[in-house]
Amino acid sequence: MRRAFADTLFEMAGQDPRVIFLTGDLGFQVFDAFQERYGDRYINVGVAEAQMICAAAGLAFEGWRPTCYSIASFLTGRAFEQIRVSVAYPGLPVVLVGAGGGYTYASSGVTHHAPDDVALLSSLPGMTVVTPGDPDEIRQLLPQMYRLPGPSYIRVGRFGEASYEACEPAVLGRARLLREGERLAVVSSGDITPGVLQAVDRLQAEGLSPLAYHFHTVKPLDTEALARIAERADTLLIVEESVPSGGLFQSIAAWRAEAECPVRLRRLGPPDAFALGGLKREVLRARLQYDADAVYAACKELWTAQRALQLAA
Amino acid sequence: MTLIAELPAHPGTPGVAWLERKARQMRATCIQMAHDGHEGHLSSVLSCMDLLVALYNYWLNVDPILPKAHDRDRFILSKGHACTALYSVLADRGFLPAEWLATYAQDDSPLPNHPCKHALPILECSSGSLGHGLGIGTGMAYGLRLEGNRARVVVLMSDGECNEGSVWEAAMFAAANKLDSVLAIVDNNGLQAVGRSDALMGYTSLEEKFRAFGWAACTINGNNMADIQAALAAFPFEPGRPSAIIAKTTGGAGVSFMQDQTVWHYRVPPIEEVEQALQELGARPIHKE
Repeated sequence: MRRAFADTLFEMAGQDPRVIFLTGDLGFQVFDAFQERYGDRYINVGVAEAQMICAAAGLAFEGWRPTCYSIASFLTGRAFEQIRVSVAYPGLPVVLVGAGGGYTYASSGVTHHAPDDVALLSSLPGMTVVTPGDPDEIRQLLPQMYRLPGPSYIRVGRFGEASYEACEPAVLGRARLLREGERLAVVSSGDITPGVLQAVDRLQAEGLSPLAYHFHTVKPLDTEALARIAERADTLLIVEESVPSGGLFQSIAAWRAEAECPVRLRRLGPPDAFALGGLKREVLRARLQYDADAVYAACKELWTAQRALQLAA
Repeated sequence: MTLIAELPAHPGTPGVAWLERKARQMRATCIQMAHDGHEGHLSSVLSCMDLLVALYNYWLNVDPILPKAHDRDRFILSKGHACTALYSVLADRGFLPAEWLATYAQDDSPLPNHPCKHALPILECSSGSLGHGLGIGTGMAYGLRLEGNRARVVVLMSDGECNEGSVWEAAMFAAANKLDSVLAIVDNNGLQAVGRSDALMGYTSLEEKFRAFGWAACTINGNNMADIQAALAAFPFEPGRPSAIIAKTTGGAGVSFMQDQTVWHYRVPPIEEVEQALQELGARPIHKE
């Protein structure tokens, strides 16, 4: 995903001479080509996230299209007030890039965890919040983010993730259908999605056919897609790598209440707790019960429960 | 009769006496606005008034006819709580109608209690949260230089604001990138919201701090027009370095009973004190007969 981001950024800078890149002293060797090609449009601000955001605001006021890059926890948490006041309040078209959102840096410890990045940024009026599931979605969505009139945030995972097949292209603001199916819809967001698809593909091989949707855009929420999904499925299993407050699950739950939609909601994802232990990401996801096996087990249980309900009726 | 008639726009670089009279008129205007708008911060407003009057009456390259001219100098009032000082000077220079001053801090006014670019689009940016202006200004200066625009960027901060770490992040950035089009002015009135800035900053020198961060810096009497003019004339102080003026000022400067008292960060003057202040200043608000 990092490589996909760096390559797409490089292309965007070629297409739009206003694109300018700021890093909080991160991305060793990742942006060398950018720096070599675009010179002063590469700015290493230093380990100074507040300054990175304010400088980006100043650049945006002057007509530039800044992209700010740092580790998600430092970018969104440390510089939150700068993002709120200097970027979101004036509605400036700044692209914020959180490397390692969620628990990408699980083993680095709580200081490097950012399960709250989506919740924090989603709280800001006018902020578009994007959590791609694979490198291909970064290539598709990032150019769309540069066309936004206002600010946006994108989570970028690690290096070397595989891309997955999908039924349709990724369109900013629209849920993306990944697997056709019925009755049960697995709705995920972010780079846990390959694990979700492993589970869904395994279920489909067994003759169970849940739908799989990826909500790469968490804000604004694609409520039209939700209404469509709810017509085809009576249960939504929402899988997210976010704190329980302010993530995709809560957004969908709020939509469900307001729309008075009878669809059942279930959540897999981290609890409201600091993740101690310095666990590797895969171990953490397994222990907190939202990895491929956990999704598989939950789907199977929900599918069977639905069957039992139908038979009883 | 208002003093506008007595004090026509100056054709060239105005003299010290003219600027001092103008500053008294602006102080009178702000004191009236504080009373009418029921909002305070007069201590900070009056301390930086001489600086704003000098900047806007001859030094900044800004034009009310073309307020968004691309080559205009950018001015950021980072200490947004002193906004009546800016509003009054902008009105006096024709950037906004003087009648608007009477709406200060009223519901839906273009002149709210902290400057809002949505309400007043001629502003370079909104302000009110301390520690943002210098960072934004350095970003502007970087972008302007990249496009070959020689506009200068002036950021007026408070000394209390220099408690914020983000000010020093911005200071480091400006020096590292040799942004010599940036002028930071610190309104060093020595007062903060609750305490004295010297005590809260460990009795250290702001000028030395800026120098240590790679800036060219000087300290002046920021309530002395001749001092201000001399410092502005010397900008940029050194090629390749951003410039900082540490302007030693007095909180509530110009009105005897408001001077150097923390209470005037908050206090709204009752009408009899307004009259007393206007009498001392020998000036009337520009938006009132």
